[in-house]
Amino acid sequence: METNIVMKKAILFDIKEFAIFDGPGIRLTLFFKGCPLYCSWCHNPEGISKEPQILKTEVGERLVGKEYSVEDIVTKIDSQKEILSFNNGGVTFCGGEPLIYTDFIIDVISKCNDVHFILDTSGYENSEKFKLLIDKIDLVHFDLKLMNSELHKKFIGGDLSIILSNLNVLIKSQVPFVVRVPMIPGVTDTKENIGSIISLIKNAKNLIRVDLLAFNKYAGGKYKACNMDFKPRFDVNKKIKFHQKMFFDYNIKINIKILLIKN
Amino acid sequence: MRDNVRDGKHHKIRKVFPVELLKEYDYKDFSPTRKSALLTKVMCEAETPYIGSDENIVFTRTIKNLPNLYSKDEWDNLFGSLTLHELGPISNVCVDWEILLSQGLLKRKTIANQSLIKYNKDNIAKEFLESAILTIDSVLSLTKKYSQEAKTLNRLDLVSILEKVPARPPESFHEALQFLRICHSVIWMSGNYHVGLGRFDQYMWKYLEKDLNENIISKENAMDLLIEFFICLNKDSDLYVGLQQGDNGQSIMLGGVKPNGKSGVNLLTEMSLKAAGFVAMIDPKINLRISQNTDIELLKLATKLTKHGLGFPQYSNDDIVIPALIKNGYSIEDARNYTVAACWEFIIPGKGMEIVNIGAISLPAAVDYGIRKGLKKNKSFEDILNYVNDNILEQVNNLCDIYKKLYLIPSPFYSVLMSNCLENGKDMSLGLKYNNLGIHGACSASAADALAIVKKYIYENNILSKKELLVALENNFNDNNELLNQLRNDELKVGNNNQNVDKMLVKLFDMSANICEKIQIPFLHDKSKFRSIRLGSGSAMYYIWLAQGYKGMREPLVEATADGRKKDDVFGANLSPSPNIEIAGPISVMQSFSKIDYERVYNGGPITIEISDMVFKNNEGLTKVAMLVKTFTKLNCQQLQLNTLNIEKLQKAINNPKQYKNLIVRVWGWSGYFCELDKVYQNHILDRHIYHRFSM
Repeated sequence: METNIVMKKAILFDIKEFAIFDGPGIRLTLFFKGCPLYCSWCHNPEGISKEPQILKTEVGERLVGKEYSVEDIVTKIDSQKEILSFNNGGVTFCGGEPLIYTDFIIDVISKCNDVHFILDTSGYENSEKFKLLIDKIDLVHFDLKLMNSELHKKFIGGDLSIILSNLNVLIKSQVPFVVRVPMIPGVTDTKENIGSIISLIKNAKNLIRVDLLAFNKYAGGKYKACNMDFKPRFDVNKKIKFHQKMFFDYNIKINIKILLIKN
Repeated sequence: MRDNVRDGKHHKIRKVFPVELLKEYDYKDFSPTRKSALLTKVMCEAETPYIGSDENIVFTRTIKNLPNLYSKDEWDNLFGSLTLHELGPISNVCVDWEILLSQGLLKRKTIANQSLIKYNKDNIAKEFLESAILTIDSVLSLTKKYSQEAKTLNRLDLVSILEKVPARPPESFHEALQFLRICHSVIWMSGNYHVGLGRFDQYMWKYLEKDLNENIISKENAMDLLIEFFICLNKDSDLYVGLQQGDNGQSIMLGGVKPNGKSGVNLLTEMSLKAAGFVAMIDPKINLRISQNTDIELLKLATKLTKHGLGFPQYSNDDIVIPALIKNGYSIEDARNYTVAACWEFIIPGKGMEIVNIGAISLPAAVDYGIRKGLKKNKSFEDILNYVNDNILEQVNNLCDIYKKLYLIPSPFYSVLMSNCLENGKDMSLGLKYNNLGIHGACSASAADALAIVKKYIYENNILSKKELLVALENNFNDNNELLNQLRNDELKVGNNNQNVDKMLVKLFDMSANICEKIQIPFLHDKSKFRSIRLGSGSAMYYIWLAQGYKGMREPLVEATADGRKKDDVFGANLSPSPNIEIAGPISVMQSFSKIDYERVYNGGPITIEISDMVFKNNEGLTKVAMLVKTFTKLNCQQLQLNTLNIEKLQKAINNPKQYKNLIVRVWGWSGYFCELDKVYQNHILDRHIYHRFSM
């Protein structure tokens, strides 16, 4: 019950209205601050730390990371609910890693009616809590990056088995999901990695498609502003292999997306 | 053709007006009516016909300047004690092109002659009618010169067109476009300016429809002609009057309902949108009337123009505009037939002798006055609001006093093209069916922000004492940067859909509307006729002027303001949040501004939203921006301008103007070439983009 009290507030580093790339229709996207992982190619470095921080922008300094109560978020969603539904959209929880605030999000959802919710996540969470949350979600965007534990540790950090365990939970839950694979040249776009990913999801009835997200060459753009170093540890200019045929062979629908800078 | 026009290759054929021509006329004692007509005549006479080998629609201005038919003394004697609007000649209204096309100039002349008989005892009417006939003859002579030139060049295709129009009604799309080109140009040559083209797709459709049905031309040919016509409008525009290059008021209105209420969207609506995208120049300025029922496909087509960064279309919401016009005295058919003037103000083609922009209410100055007075005298917030009200009343009264002496310079040629002038023997300057005056309730966001801040910091939460704020304001925040930042970054800003500040926005407009609605200004020369005041929400160039002053400024100059604004800092343009602050997003902006009572604030004024061009990097982006436009109608807003910008491009353009000479931006109500703008306007656009662009 202690977690419930802690979870009355959450820190978000952005709330984006009229987001058009975060799912179907027009969406209100909530960017939660904090992530247990640290992908070398992350293009939202200001989302990694849980704490508010200063960003040095082209026009001065800006504090990134603001605290919101459950009520604040519910009020914001309510104020735009009609417009979101009018535009066949809804709300997307992402970040950072929204699962840092699982309880908070569950609370928000319970207080909103008739809203389409998307969870955009790496799946890094206790399985019970994960299941509790996804049962209330309409569509999950689940990241699958590196299927080799050692490589995972090297480029992403964290324990891969936690993610894979939740992938199972997701598949069993029957909640519709989209797999998102950041296509990092020489790292995730290997035949081996893609093959492993496919083998994990090929029989999932609730899989809608796989989004192959091309590495964003401008990913390093915000690091300086966050007072961090961009250390990709891979060749950012190398050509990406999408391996469309491999997916095609398993009848898995894919979507190749060029990542944009999220300002 | 387009590049040649932009490069001004045709400029070399231009000459200055040959003043010797004037010596043939003894015009010194001519009345203004006759002088105006003479101007039309001599400008037409001085023109040398020029027909380019690739042209299918002819007329190119060869005379650079208009001669002045008044000496300074004459001008001062005639008009010195009166109020002229801007430069004096009638501007910023819209012809009833439909009447003109359906009759042709010879029929208009016949009507004038009939009226001459009818009004033969009325000297003023006679003078007007004779002058009008003179201008018609001048246009017909000009056309004849062109048809002779065409004959010389063996352009028999053009000869047959020019022998018909504009003397007689056109019978084809090509003829109609040629008719328009000549008459529209002559209006400019008559000294009038901000000459729009009105509901182009409505009055031109029947010609195109007939041509297509009878297989007279193909759609491709029609498109070529349309493109050429649009390019034409850019040929002479550098010669036209305006506050900045590009501010020439050549607006076109597309879409919307017909006078019977049914949708008027037709193939020409779509073709015009496509043509404008292809031409990608600043004229004509595309406006689109929409409603909640507008098909998303049309919005997507329009959004392609937004994507190109043309700064248009500007959208007007029929669902909001039409009922407001009706409520304020416009007939149902006329309200349904509205177009916009140069920027955004609503006007009725042929029937509106309205000055839609007599000036502005500086809402920030009124609020600042109220705040400083209230704080100095240790009064309540209610008292502050009353002081604000007093100041708005004073500003409006000052403006109206000036316009009681409004004198409109007669425009006989323009009057030929308006409703019932020839029929009634009256120049349009004496009044048409609608004669109202428009005032911009300018820079409302900053004003509302200041009120909300004062209420919260001083009267509700006691964060600041009255004295502290006063001292800070009086010192332009020079000794209190911390307070400046605190106020500037407070969330109480219009554009966040925050009711505590939005209610101040609504209050300011309600106060202003209460004042404006009570005013009836009698005509100068006919005390039995009155003009009403139409309150608007746009800012025109006042977003710069009210902060930095301008020559002949009437409004009070405002200094540091309580919303965290220093002296000289410029305001947001039209309906937009204050500059230099973070805003929640485009939906919140629209929600904030949707709260204004547009039934009472009905002169016009667009919500202005900047979008990063990154949005369009993906195919979905187009659809979703179109959905943003649809959302604007769903939220019951009145007008919208969406501008797409790329900040790097803008910065490069500042450093390297020649390389970016075709970069187009939306300024305050029109699109212009970025590199042709004064620095202060350039910087404002840059700032708008940095803070308020929504990358979505």
